[in-house]
Amino acid sequence: MTQRAIRYGATEDEKALYLDLVKKHGSPLLVISREKLLQQYNTLKQQLPGVALYYAIKAFPYPAIIEILDKAGACFDVASAGEIDLLQAQHISGRRTIHTHPIKKDAEIRAALRGGSTTFVVDNIDELKKLLPYRQRIGVLLRVSFRSETTQIDLSRKFGCSPDSVIELVEQASALGAHIRGLSFHVGSQSTLPKAHVEAIERCSQIINDAAAINPNPMDILDIGGGFPVSYNFEDMDNEAYFTPIREAIKQYVPDGIRVIAEPGRYLIAPAVTAISSVSGKAKRGDYQWYYLDDGVYGSYSGQIFDHACYPLQILNDEAQREVAILAGPTCDSIDIIAEDIELPKLEEGDLVIGHMMGAYTYATSTQFNSLSGASIIVI
Amino acid sequence: MSDFFTETLYDPLGQSFRIDKLYYEQKTEHQHLMIFHNAFLGRVMTLDGVVQTTERDEFIYHEMMAHVPMFAHGNAKKVLIIGGGDGGMLREALRHKNVEQVTMVEIDGAVIEMSKQWLPNHSQGAFDDPRANIVIADGMDFVRETEMRFDVIISDSTDPIGPGEVLFSNDFYAQCKRILNPGGVMVTQNGVPFFQVDEVRNTAIRMSASFSDQTFYSAAVPTYYGGIMTFAWGSDESTLRTIDLDSLQQRYQQAGIETRYYTPEIHRASFALPRYVDIAIAEAKA
Ligand SMILES: Cc1ncc(COP(=O)(O)O)c(C=O)c1O
Repeated sequence: MTQRAIRYGATEDEKALYLDLVKKHGSPLLVISREKLLQQYNTLKQQLPGVALYYAIKAFPYPAIIEILDKAGACFDVASAGEIDLLQAQHISGRRTIHTHPIKKDAEIRAALRGGSTTFVVDNIDELKKLLPYRQRIGVLLRVSFRSETTQIDLSRKFGCSPDSVIELVEQASALGAHIRGLSFHVGSQSTLPKAHVEAIERCSQIINDAAAINPNPMDILDIGGGFPVSYNFEDMDNEAYFTPIREAIKQYVPDGIRVIAEPGRYLIAPAVTAISSVSGKAKRGDYQWYYLDDGVYGSYSGQIFDHACYPLQILNDEAQREVAILAGPTCDSIDIIAEDIELPKLEEGDLVIGHMMGAYTYATSTQFNSLSGASIIVI
Repeated sequence: MSDFFTETLYDPLGQSFRIDKLYYEQKTEHQHLMIFHNAFLGRVMTLDGVVQTTERDEFIYHEMMAHVPMFAHGNAKKVLIIGGGDGGMLREALRHKNVEQVTMVEIDGAVIEMSKQWLPNHSQGAFDDPRANIVIADGMDFVRETEMRFDVIISDSTDPIGPGEVLFSNDFYAQCKRILNPGGVMVTQNGVPFFQVDEVRNTAIRMSASFSDQTFYSAAVPTYYGGIMTFAWGSDESTLRTIDLDSLQQRYQQAGIETRYYTPEIHRASFALPRYVDIAIAEAKA
């Protein structure tokens, strides 16, 4: 388990901001920073010039986020009809999407087509066959699997065909009259070393070259997925060190005429969202001081269960005297614990606990367990 | 600078229309709808990213879908239109003076209201004609349940990806046959075969399960780009399809209907299909 990062104390500006937000909007909150979101988007654009960015809506499916990224010029990775609805509500054309879920019901395919999403991802022949009734309307990407040890969340076990089977699938597809537009991969989320992307880019580029001989239509897309990491320990990520090898791999390996796209989720949204919760009650149980917050792992902190995340926490009070404490969530379940065995200064009811880097797979996977309405979402 | 509407029908290509003025936009429970003005086409209605109808070329579609079956029949008194919420088909069907009643079944009443307001040139008052019988219902439910009988049935549906999927099913064709009078005919819009030849194949198989005489006729509607579109034809009376030019001319003159696309000659010629369509049909029925 990753070491939990905790920051004690806050600048006067920070304190004033958090207290003011809670005064205005109550607690708990998820605060989306427009500025930070745009900063992440622009950094990624700079680091990966020429790569079209398709925001993976699943990371934080929320209208204001879509609106901000839309205005910035992003495209969108959709994985369900519900996500397409979110785009349609804002008049964003399906032309600017790819549908990336490799396994789909027919109803899902039809809903996507109605929403104007016409590029689909598959990873096996049975799924390809489901697309055949629509073959004259669609383009297909084949998802290739690359297992990696350096990612926190492996996405190549559940999805993706082996690199060795791509040529055969391309042959089958063209015999069936479907057009394979390109390849896609997802090295896994929070992929901490660029090596995973670099190797996958190299291998996919080879395959694209090999396939050129048998594919009646040239491929035009290489989708390098998401997976770009963020720092969960208050340290600034070294973007230059991480993205340079990827940028160079694209330059070196990707054949001419192939448009490179990416599906970042976490990288764009994680740093742009801050959770504010407050102490609702406390108890001394044995050697431990328990604090009960108004948000927990069934709410905004759900990523600690589903996303294996360990969010950096900030306590506004920087008193040197600390004791071993437990931060628990508001539900009745004993699994609802945000942090154990951490050192905390004495907290009082109403004191704020700040969770940082809380944009990716937080709200997205939160539940209504105990009929709690969860954090209010605000945009600053 | 004006916005453009780009169709999302096909992944590798798509036509764009300049939106000179947006009149109406709505996302209903069933569909996402837009009506806007384009300098060349006049008012344009789109549904789920696909052009449905434009003021400039709707006459081709509506004339060909209403007059071909009605003149072939020669004495249609009761006509059923499935869909057609914009009122253009109703308008053309009602131009036949001998028609006693045109029943139009539209799933979404809001489409009719919106069309009356924003596409008045389509219906041109047809909704107020005493011979118009407007029913707000699911077309499939209607054909399954109705006790009424019809001489001509016209299915003016969206494409089969949309909510109109059931209107391309075996069951729909079988129910239409059930409610057709002897000597009756049904026609359906069937897409642009250059892009969607599978739709021709599917309909050929499904419709011929219910009708002894099944074929297609065609017309080129510019904003349904890709060349000709097909209309499916199903009847148990094969003489309707092979009716001679003289009879058609006589009926056309007697009707006194002023058309802009339809002529008896076009009517006859429209049953001649390009070879790739013929082959697809033959293969499907083999
Ligand atoms: C297909 C696909 N694309 C993109 C993403 C986003 O990944 P990340 O948040 O790691 O950038 C995911 C995450 O699950 C995914 O499954």
